[in-house]
Amino acid sequence: MIERNLVIVSGKGGVGKSAVSAAIALLAQRAGKKVLVLGMTPGPGLAAHLGIGSLEYEPIEVRPGLHAAAIDRAKALTEYLQAQMGVPQMARFGPLARAFDALASTAPGIREVITMGKVLYEVRQRRWDLVVADAPPTGQIASHLVAPRTVADLVPTGRIKGQAGWMDAILGDPERTGLLLVSLAEELPVNETRETLAWLDEHHVIDVLPPVFNRVLPKLEVTAATVRRLEEGPVRDAAQLHRSLYDGQREWLDELPPGPRLPYLFGVNTPGEVAVRLSDLLETP
Amino acid sequence: MTRALLVTGGGGVGKTTLAAGLAVTAARRGIEALVVTVDPARRLADALGQVKLGSEPVRHPDEPRLWAAMLDATASWRAIVERHATPEAAARLLESEFFTAATGHFPASQSYAAAEEMAVYLEAKVWDLVVVDTPPSAGGIEFFTAPAQMADLIGGRLLRWLTGARLPGRQVFFDLAARPALRIADSILGSNLLERVAQFLMDLRTTYDGVSRRAKEIERLLRRSSTVVVTTSDPSPMREAVRFFLELPEVAGRPAAVVFNRALPVGWADSHPGRGVPTALAENLERWGAEARHQADVRLEFSSRYRAPLATVPWQPTAPTDLDALQALIESAEGLPVTDLGVG
Repeated sequence: MIERNLVIVSGKGGVGKSAVSAAIALLAQRAGKKVLVLGMTPGPGLAAHLGIGSLEYEPIEVRPGLHAAAIDRAKALTEYLQAQMGVPQMARFGPLARAFDALASTAPGIREVITMGKVLYEVRQRRWDLVVADAPPTGQIASHLVAPRTVADLVPTGRIKGQAGWMDAILGDPERTGLLLVSLAEELPVNETRETLAWLDEHHVIDVLPPVFNRVLPKLEVTAATVRRLEEGPVRDAAQLHRSLYDGQREWLDELPPGPRLPYLFGVNTPGEVAVRLSDLLETP
Repeated sequence: MTRALLVTGGGGVGKTTLAAGLAVTAARRGIEALVVTVDPARRLADALGQVKLGSEPVRHPDEPRLWAAMLDATASWRAIVERHATPEAAARLLESEFFTAATGHFPASQSYAAAEEMAVYLEAKVWDLVVVDTPPSAGGIEFFTAPAQMADLIGGRLLRWLTGARLPGRQVFFDLAARPALRIADSILGSNLLERVAQFLMDLRTTYDGVSRRAKEIERLLRRSSTVVVTTSDPSPMREAVRFFLELPEVAGRPAAVVFNRALPVGWADSHPGRGVPTALAENLERWGAEARHQADVRLEFSSRYRAPLATVPWQPTAPTDLDALQALIESAEGLPVTDLGVG
């Protein structure tokens, strides 16, 4: 996974996307790679898992060799227009940005292509060995992955159309790019992951890595009879709850293609600790 | 009068199940109750007697006072456009290449559609209680800001700037030559995209009077509603719960309760396995005890900082998938002010 140049991390809301993104970035950093981890959605989740308060558009070095940033759409647009469209610096960006803002809330793909464009641009610049993208949830991932094509279809002429080519080339190259889906062993996340996998299977826009199950409970090595014989109290109650939840998870673990399983972290206090623990676990599966 | 109860919170915390549980409990206490869900698990939808996605409420076959409906944002938007746009504009909007993207992509559009549906159910005066499971975006905060955002977007400066229109309904003149910024944007985009978008927005503009009047009514309804915020002690839903106290506009008032779902018994935190207990079981208690302690710490910190009324719902060994289990879930809650919430 960390041998690629771009890993895009998605999953249903609440499954731990940001924690897994941070963990992969930490893992690559420890392997001596120059890493950028990019938050594609607003919100402080990724920053918290990296142990800092907030992220900026300009990458900051959170550990030696590990940089982190958050995508701000207005800034990404300015950078995009200057660096890639050759709009001169002196052009009035205020009015131009407002025109794009009107488009972003109306025309399909514009909002997504600006965000995806920033991620892919960082990969294209080859400043990093690995870019990890903490992506929008699975419900929105398809529209992001096809955004370059959506925009190209929307505008058969015009300079923006020419951008789809290089973006699709990076996204579609299995040597360079992979999509990692994170799930929990529960009905809704598994179903959403399955639907996303089916869509990806049909559309071939990106190479798909084996999906990760997060918060998997360990097996309790005692028989049901032993538990039943216990006296009433916390030992028995905790064992019974554990066994039921464990059985509930078993139902869903075989419903996705095999992949890494990350354990439930009991009593871990800070988001920063969670990411460090997960990165250790990814190293020694 | 119909009461509204909004169940909000971050993704994956069990909002939908708790909303269903509250409606079932109310119905069994003689209250005519409707639960509006967004994306229920199949088994939960089955338990509620929901056969298919639809905004038309369906009465439960075995529980005569329990009704359920599911939100379909695109269908709601179609109804909003038909209700508020001029007939010619409505026809063009529904046919437009931008319609699905715009109604699905406006940051607040799913939340607005849900709020609008809620208003329709409240005004129908059929139910005593309408329980709304809010859409997951931004932990439900958007639900409260959506009406104003929508009115602002449709009537807003953006469109006026883009089209040069000053008054609704007046013929506008889309003049690229006079607008250097538009000319640059047009050359980048090509294919008259800006003009096509401007036409779409002008058509959408015809809904402005209707939507802004409606938005005010919805805000009034929201102000009279009760809200519960559902969370677990995990950092991500906790951040969403905190936002309710830091960012929520006056329109929502203070939540009636913050419900910590999947709570473990506090007693597990300091209990010792005792002698003769197999190692695996002692270790198991230690793990869950650490989790119970962590949960208690999180709740204590939250309540002392935000002075919020707390409730806890015990961690269920299996997800409730029938009406009895849904009612039992609510009855097992501690600190939940069911009477204040209109649940009986």
